[in-house]
Amino acid sequence: MGRLSPLFAPETIAVVGATDRDGAVGRAILENLQAEFDGDVLAINPNRESVLGLECYPDVQQAPVADLAVVVVPPPIVLESIRALGEQGTKDIVVITAGFAETGADGADREQQLRDLAEEYDLNIVGPNSLGVMSTPVGMNATFGPESAQEGSIAFMSQSGAFITAVLDWANEQDIGFRDVVSLGNKAVLDETDFVREWGGDPETDVVIGYLESIQDGEAFVQTAREVTDETPIVLVKSGRTDAGAQAASSHTGAIAGSERAYEAGLEQAGVIRASSVQELFDYARALSGLPEPESDGVAVVTNAGGPGVLTTDAVGDSQLRMADFTDETIDRLAEAMPDEANVYNPIDAIGDADVDRFGDALEIALEDPNVGAAVVVSAPTAVLEYDKLAETVIEKRDVYEKPVITCMMGGERARAAEEVLREFGIPNYFDPSRAVSSLDTLARYRDIRERTVDEPTTFDVDRERAREILARAESRDDNRLGVESMDLLEAYGIPTPTGEIVDDPDRAHEVAKAIDGNVVMKIVSPDITHKSDIGGVKVGVEDDEVKDAYEDLVSRARNYQPDATILGVQVQEMIDLESTTETIVGMNRDPQFGPLLLFGLGGIFVEILQDTSVRVAPIGEGEAREMVDEIDAAPLLRGARGRDPADVEAIIDTIQRLSQLVTDFPAILELDVNPLVAGPDGVQAIDLRLTVDTEQL
Amino acid sequence: MTDTDTSDAESTTTGTDSPDTILVASLAESSGKTAITLALARLAREAGDSVGYMKPKGTRLQSNVGKTLDEDPMLARELLDIDAELHDLEPVVYSPTFIEQAIRGREDSAELRTRVQEAFNSLATDHDRMFLEGAGQYDVGSIVDLTDADVADALDARVLLIAPYEVPGDVDDVLAAVDTFGDRFAGVVFNNVSDAAYDQLETDVVPYLEGRDIPVYGVIPNERELSGVTVKQLADELGATVVSENGLDAYIERFTVGAMGADSALRHFRRTKDAAVITGGDRADVHTAAIEAPGIRCLILTGGHRPSGAILGQAADRGLPVLAVQTDTLTTVERAEDVVRSGRTRDETTVARMQSLLADHADVDAVLEID
Repeated sequence: MGRLSPLFAPETIAVVGATDRDGAVGRAILENLQAEFDGDVLAINPNRESVLGLECYPDVQQAPVADLAVVVVPPPIVLESIRALGEQGTKDIVVITAGFAETGADGADREQQLRDLAEEYDLNIVGPNSLGVMSTPVGMNATFGPESAQEGSIAFMSQSGAFITAVLDWANEQDIGFRDVVSLGNKAVLDETDFVREWGGDPETDVVIGYLESIQDGEAFVQTAREVTDETPIVLVKSGRTDAGAQAASSHTGAIAGSERAYEAGLEQAGVIRASSVQELFDYARALSGLPEPESDGVAVVTNAGGPGVLTTDAVGDSQLRMADFTDETIDRLAEAMPDEANVYNPIDAIGDADVDRFGDALEIALEDPNVGAAVVVSAPTAVLEYDKLAETVIEKRDVYEKPVITCMMGGERARAAEEVLREFGIPNYFDPSRAVSSLDTLARYRDIRERTVDEPTTFDVDRERAREILARAESRDDNRLGVESMDLLEAYGIPTPTGEIVDDPDRAHEVAKAIDGNVVMKIVSPDITHKSDIGGVKVGVEDDEVKDAYEDLVSRARNYQPDATILGVQVQEMIDLESTTETIVGMNRDPQFGPLLLFGLGGIFVEILQDTSVRVAPIGEGEAREMVDEIDAAPLLRGARGRDPADVEAIIDTIQRLSQLVTDFPAILELDVNPLVAGPDGVQAIDLRLTVDTEQL
Repeated sequence: MTDTDTSDAESTTTGTDSPDTILVASLAESSGKTAITLALARLAREAGDSVGYMKPKGTRLQSNVGKTLDEDPMLARELLDIDAELHDLEPVVYSPTFIEQAIRGREDSAELRTRVQEAFNSLATDHDRMFLEGAGQYDVGSIVDLTDADVADALDARVLLIAPYEVPGDVDDVLAAVDTFGDRFAGVVFNNVSDAAYDQLETDVVPYLEGRDIPVYGVIPNERELSGVTVKQLADELGATVVSENGLDAYIERFTVGAMGADSALRHFRRTKDAAVITGGDRADVHTAAIEAPGIRCLILTGGHRPSGAILGQAADRGLPVLAVQTDTLTTVERAEDVVRSGRTRDETTVARMQSLLADHADVDAVLEID
C-alpha cells in the first residue's frame, strides 16, 4: 500500500480522550476498537486511572508511540494533542472532534492551525469533524458509529458521517462487505484525492466508492483518478446536482457547488462512474467488485416470462449495450433444446413451463455464443421452477464461461433464499430488470474506460510574456473585464484574428481602411456596451470614402444611447465572407472545483436557444478537442451538410487546443469567450473576444 | 465689498478685529469639503491661530435624539474642541420640511440672513479665523436667497472652491462658479483627482486657469483612504451586525445583488471589483459564489438571517467579512449606495490625512493668506 498504509493497518492505536462515561464518543470508539481490533489499544485521559479495563495514560507524552491516534478531546485542546502526537512521531491521526470550520470564524482559524501543524510535522490527518475510519482486514473500527463493516473489497469514503452509519446498517443486511471506510469530515488535510490514490495502489481493493458534496481540488482529482481508473473502478454519488441541492450542499459544507456540467465533464474525463442515487452506487459497486468484465456489448436475455423479457430488452436499448445477435449455430442449438413454442432468438423465451434444466441449457448455449458478452436471467415464479435450484445452475454456468451473469428472479418471499445463495457467489439479483441491465452496462463502461487512451496536450509555441502584459491591462479598469481591444491576446497564442485596428480618430480610421483590401467592418469598442448591433454600433461593408462619416456616426450613436459609457474607439476590420462560413463559439469558464471548463458550440441560436455545446476540463489534447467538435448535434453542418463547403475543422480543433493552453497558462483568466469564431473552408478567425481577469493572480 | 449686500454685512458682522473668514464651497456633493475645511482649520490652529467653524446651512442630515441635524458640525465640534451650541454652528437646517415651508412663503429670507449673521457673530468672538463650510453644492439655498455666494457676502468671507476633475469639460463648471462668486472668489483646489486625469490637469488645465487669473491652490490626488468606504464604516452606517469580521478594512466601491442561481452569480460576481454582495441570508449558494469571486470584498445578508457555520468558516478563511442587516434587500441596496455615494470617512484619521495631503499638494499659506 501507499503512504497512508499505517492509517489502515496500524499495530497500535491511541485513543486521545478515551473515557468510560456513558454516551460519550470517546467511549464508543474505545468499545468499537476493543471489539475486534487485532493490535494494541492505548487509552489516554488525564482524569482516569483506567478506562474499560485498559490502563489509562495521563497524556500523549507518557504513552507509548502509537501508529494511529484517534483524537476525541474537546475542541480547545485538539491542537495541543496533535502537536504532542507530532512531537512523538505519530504520523496518522483521525480527528473526530467537531467545532472547526463548520462552525464559523473561530473554528476556521482552528482548522487553519490544524493544517499548519500537519505541514510542520508531516501528518496524515483525517477530519476534523469525522465519524472515523474502519479497516476490516485488521478488525479496526475506529468510529463512533453503531455498526462495524463486514469484510469485503470495496473501499468507501463519505463526506457525511451519518451516511456511513446508515449505509453500514443496510449493507450488513445485504451482505455487502468493505475493505476500508473513511468519514472525510472537513477534509482539512486528507481529501478524496488522497484516498483515491491510496486505494488505487492497493491490489486488494476492487472498487472505490464515495459520497461527495464537493471536491477540494478538481484538477488534482481528475489527474489522480485518471491513473487509478486504469486499474480500479471509482463510483461516486455527487450530491447537489440541482439548484436546491447545491444550495443545501453549500450550507452543509460551506463550499461552492461548482457547475453540474463541470462535474459531469471532469468526472467523465477522470474515468469516474457517476451514480445518481445511493441504490445505483451500491448496484454498481456490487457489479464491479464481483463480476468479470464483458468482452463485448452483446447481451443475451434468458427468460420464462414474455413481459419481463421485453422490459429487459428495452432496458438494454436504453444502455450502451445491445441485444446480442446469435450465431446460426446458437439458434440451431437453442431450437433443438427448446420446445417448438419457445422463442430461440434473443430474448430467449423458454416459456412458462420451463424448468431449471431448460433454463440451464438455454443459458449455457447463449454464453457459448461468441457474440454474447453478458447474460441476464429473468424469471417469474412458476409451479415447475425451483428458484434455489435455478440459482445453483446459474452459479455453475457462470463459473464455466467467465462472462458476467446477472439475475432477475422476480418475486418476494419466494425469491429470498435463492437471492442469498446468489449473493454469496457474487451474483446480484434484482426484481427490476432495468437495475440488472444498468449494472451490466456499468461493467461495459468501465471496460471502455480502462481501454481508452488519453493523449497529452500539445504544447504550442506562444508568446506568453506578451499575453501577460495584455491581461495586466485589466488592472486599470473599473471592472475585471477585457474586450475586443485585447484581441492581440489571441494573436499571442496563435489564434487568427482579422486584419484591422482600433482607432480613436476618423483620419486614422481612413488610413487603416485604405490599407485593407476591399470594404471594411466598423464597430464601436466599449466595455460598457454589450449589445453593439442593438444600438447601431456595427457597420458592415463600409467603403473607403465612407469611413470617416461612419466613424462619427458610430461614436455619436454610442454617445446618444449610453452617455456614460467609456468608448475606447472604433474597430476597423477586414470583411469576413459570411456566406461560406459558419459561426462557432469557443469559450472557457473557470469552475471553482474543476478549473478551466472549455466550451465549444455553434454560435447564434445554436448556443443561445438550443444550448448545443460540448465541454471539457482543460488542459486537453488533440483527441479530446476533436471529440468536442464531433459531440455537438450540429457537427454535420461543419462537415459540410446540404452542399455547403465543409469548414476547416482541423483549424477549429487547433484553436480549441491553443485556448486550452492559454487558460491553463493563466489561472488569472476566469472566463473567456471567443464569439464568434468564424470557421470557413480555409481556416478560422476570431471576430470578438470577452474575458474576465483576476489581476491579483497575474 | 462692491455691492450693497456687503455694506449690509459689514454693519452686522462688525467688530474692529473681525476674524479672517474663509468659506469652503464645492461644485458637487461628496467632494471632500468637510475634510478640507477641518484640515485647513487644524493647520491654522497648529500655526498658532484661534479658529472657529460654522456650517450656515446643514445638509447632511442625521436624526439626533429626535432632532434633525447635520453630521459635519458635530465632527467639527469634536475635532476643533469648539464649545459652541449646535444651533449656532448650524443656524439653518436645510431639510425637506424647511424647503417646503420656504416655498409656501413661511420663511423670511431677511430674517434667516440675520439669524446666520447673529450665529456667526456669537461664534466668531475671540477667534482669529473662521472656517465656513458651504452646502453640499454651492448653489443650494437659492430658495431663501442663501446660496454660498449669499453667505459669503453676508459674512464677508472669501471663497475657496473645491472642484472635482475628470475631463477638460469639467472646467466649464469651475468658470461658472468663479463668475457666481465674483470678487469673493479666492481660488480653487481640485480634489480627488484620479491618476489618469492628474497629468492632463497639471499640464493643460492649471496653466489655462491661471492664464485667466484664476488661482489654483492645489491638485489633490485621489486617495482611497479618503474617498473610499471601508466595510467597517459601512457596517456602522447601516447599523449592521458583523457576523464574520476578517477583512473589515477592505474598501467598497459598488454593490451587486445576488438573486440568481449560483452559476450565474459566480459569473456576475467575478466581473466586478471592490464590491459588496447584498443577498438573502438563506442563499447559501450565492454566499459561496461571493466567497469564491476575487473582486467581492463583503457579504451583506438581509432579512436578519445568519448563514450556516460552515459558510462563516469559509468566509473567515478567505477573509471575506459578513454583515447581517434586518432590512430587506431593496432597502439595504438603497441605503448602502447612499453611504458609498455620500462616501467620506468622517473621523479624525481622515482629517489628519487630508492635512498632510494639503501640505504636500496645495499652497496652504496662500489659501490662508499668510505672507
